[in-house]
Amino acid sequence: MNTGKKKLNMWLVLTLGILALFLIFVVFPIGLILYKSILMEDGSISFSYFTKFFSKKFYWSTLINSFKVTIASTFVSAVLGLIMAYLLRSIKIKGSKFLNILIVISYLSPPFIGAYAWVQLLGRNGFITRIINTLFHTQFSGIYGFAGIVLVFSLQSFPLVYMYVSGALKNLDNSLNEAAESLGCSVVQRVWRVIVPLITPTLLASSLLVFMRVFSDFGTPMLIGEGYKTFPVLLYSQFMGEVSTDDHYAAALCVIVIVITLVLFFLQKFIGNRLTYSMSALKPMESQKASGLRNVLAHGFVYMVTLVAVLPQITVISTSFMETRGASYTGKFTLENYKNILMPKNVTTITNTYLFGLAAILLVVILGVLISYLTVRKKSFLTSILDTLTMFPYIIPGSVLGISFLYAFNKKPLLLSGTAIIIIISLCIRRMPYTIRSSTAIIGQISPSIEEAAISLGATERKSFIKVTVPMMMAGVLSGAIMSWITLISELSSSIILYTSKTQTLTVAIYAEVIRSNFGNAAAYSTILTVTSILSLLLFFKVSGNNDISV
Amino acid sequence: MSVAINIENVVKRFGKDTVINGLSLDIKPGEFFTLLGPSGCGKTTLLRMIIGFNSIEGGQIKIDGKVINDIPTNKRNMGMVFQNYAIFPHMSVKDNIAFGLKNRKVSKEEINKKVDEILKIVKIDHLKDRMPQKLSGGQQQRIALARAIVIHPEVLLMDEPLSNLDAKLRTEMRNAIKQIQQQVGITTVYVTHDQEEALAVSDRIAVMNGGVIQQIDTPKHIYQRPANIFVSTFIGLSNVINGVLESNDNGKAQVRIGDYRFTMSNIKKECTQGPVKVSIRPEEFIINKETKEGIPVVVKSSVFLGVATHYFLETKDGQDIEVIQDSDLEELIPNGTLIHLKVQTQKINVFSEDGSRSYIDRGGRA
Repeated sequence: MNTGKKKLNMWLVLTLGILALFLIFVVFPIGLILYKSILMEDGSISFSYFTKFFSKKFYWSTLINSFKVTIASTFVSAVLGLIMAYLLRSIKIKGSKFLNILIVISYLSPPFIGAYAWVQLLGRNGFITRIINTLFHTQFSGIYGFAGIVLVFSLQSFPLVYMYVSGALKNLDNSLNEAAESLGCSVVQRVWRVIVPLITPTLLASSLLVFMRVFSDFGTPMLIGEGYKTFPVLLYSQFMGEVSTDDHYAAALCVIVIVITLVLFFLQKFIGNRLTYSMSALKPMESQKASGLRNVLAHGFVYMVTLVAVLPQITVISTSFMETRGASYTGKFTLENYKNILMPKNVTTITNTYLFGLAAILLVVILGVLISYLTVRKKSFLTSILDTLTMFPYIIPGSVLGISFLYAFNKKPLLLSGTAIIIIISLCIRRMPYTIRSSTAIIGQISPSIEEAAISLGATERKSFIKVTVPMMMAGVLSGAIMSWITLISELSSSIILYTSKTQTLTVAIYAEVIRSNFGNAAAYSTILTVTSILSLLLFFKVSGNNDISV
Repeated sequence: MSVAINIENVVKRFGKDTVINGLSLDIKPGEFFTLLGPSGCGKTTLLRMIIGFNSIEGGQIKIDGKVINDIPTNKRNMGMVFQNYAIFPHMSVKDNIAFGLKNRKVSKEEINKKVDEILKIVKIDHLKDRMPQKLSGGQQQRIALARAIVIHPEVLLMDEPLSNLDAKLRTEMRNAIKQIQQQVGITTVYVTHDQEEALAVSDRIAVMNGGVIQQIDTPKHIYQRPANIFVSTFIGLSNVINGVLESNDNGKAQVRIGDYRFTMSNIKKECTQGPVKVSIRPEEFIINKETKEGIPVVVKSSVFLGVATHYFLETKDGQDIEVIQDSDLEELIPNGTLIHLKVQTQKINVFSEDGSRSYIDRGGRA
């Protein structure tokens, strides 16, 4: 588009500015990690940190453990998510809207809260454990280690697969189903031979998200893993450990994580691209009333899974009103926990969470809209670099980002560690790829001729962007922003590394209280977080006007 | 107040591809001018060069004598109607139409007056305060037209504005566009690949192919006296048959197709004997059932369409021929019948063997 050199410059300046931001806050910290991982203390370059990792079983076994729990939980999540999505889309389930909201809520709380709640239920001294042991006179000692981690992760992550697959099923034209049926396919064959192949790319993409989330989460294995040490736990203890910390070794561990997620990302892209079909449903699948045993089984399954998935939330909310003595409950109702956390001394925790979240959202939305506009409408060599660069945080786990930020911004002129800014920026960068992707999709639906029309009617490029493009994007961007907000306020893995006593957020506080066995306070904090999430979710439904959620 | 558009030797490149290489064209003030051609012929590219969405790599475009190459689109004062209408979905009908006026800092009262005026002209004044999303294609088209005209542009540009409408609405809208254009009197450049539409609305048509203009003429001449084989087959239907120009003396030319010889009186003097392409439209044949004079063909099938009857025939070389006759009371000619076809020598066209030049003398016209 040639509308004068002066106007082109505006976009160029923006591109360069955003590029500079990403160079400082993504490329520089990650580059530093790479450099640190091969820099010895005497200043020479060597791979000895990597050799150290792979030569001691104490170290490399954590990687094996991580793969075991991640593969197991991803598999269970994918199966559960697929079945739940198919059942809810194909069979009329009573109260399905409500169930849908419950499933989303169970996903929106941070995984470690699930871990801590399940310890309350099925731990050594848990409610359910005690009931089992009294009823059956057994010596069941609770689920910890592998089983516990997989339980928590699966229940926490299947909603993600569920949401993605449910969206894909909605785009699946029912006539495909009917065609298969008319050609003599049974129900099971239909699912297996028509539906599953068509939604495989979606299933893969969402499974990858689950995989990366589970692989890099350290809160859950920390709380419920006991002796079962996973890679993020090792990483965290190497970096934050009370006994000894080794920056360079931690950097090497970060590099290993990045390489693994990078490989997975490209693998998923490669397989996904080969299997993608473009579909648009003229006649979407409609849920039908099932009868007899099928109906009972479907209802039973869906309600069971949903109930188990929200059980941690129920536990947390109810224990928040229970009196505690040390780490155990007395069984009496109390508001003491709320009094403890809402007393003046600690209120900043809550305000911090809201402020950081809002600031990050504002930044993410403005930058996200600009970046996606630049990469879609102002294609050039620079914007394609921007496109790649802004997607990069997608594959960087939160803890790695947190560590790299601490390395990069702990001295002048970029002394940011300990400030609120560093937390806001890290939240912003973690969320950026998602916002850009959704904004890009929204812009893709706006025909370029709409802007050309505005320009032909005498508007400048800036004016047509502000008056025409932005308002048209607003509804989609706003609902995306609400979802981002919910994910950001429950972020733990980078905040836990970057926080100081002044910049503590809700999730960090919950984690700290759980570690200190102050379960009452933890429950009260968690309840505040959950209630905020639920209210935001309701707002999302109101703004977006539908029940479809993409995260 | 109407202005002329002069396009002089313009060049358009996309990367290394040269799409238009030195094209020239003059559009008269107030004219309804159409760029017609198959998709990919460069017609939309040229239109977007005029409005300024495409840069100009060589040559110049003048509006009213002024070179506009370096004027940004938003200062060119041209109205454009887009293929997909490009109605702003978040603005009411009135706000859509007022958008351009607001950019021109027109006063509120003036805007209201002008918007009401134009709404009446395009006959959608009852939709003034509606949001556009629920309106029909034809109504959206009228908004787009009103929005482009209301700013009193020097030039009105339309890029396939009717291609998203259904057949009936298309006919209705093309009449409306033509009528409104005449009423407002703006120099208009119209892009389409639909030849019937082009013939119906245009004062003059430029037929384009491969970035090159094949012919510029009135609809009637384009149809009846195409400049080359491309135009004769792209506009309407033509049966192209190999023939021979046997002699050309004193304004009497002998043309032969197979064993069928006929005389033509409008072949250019300078054309000498040799092989030619004869282009005959389906309605320019005369079916000869009595004698053996004419091109021998066998009837393969026929379709009765009320007003006319179409015959699909085959020559003995295996070439397909289509003939259209006014329907009469006689029975259709049965399939498999051998008949002979004569031609209306005044109407048919003769081209050089490579199809690039017309042999027809049009009394001074190219």
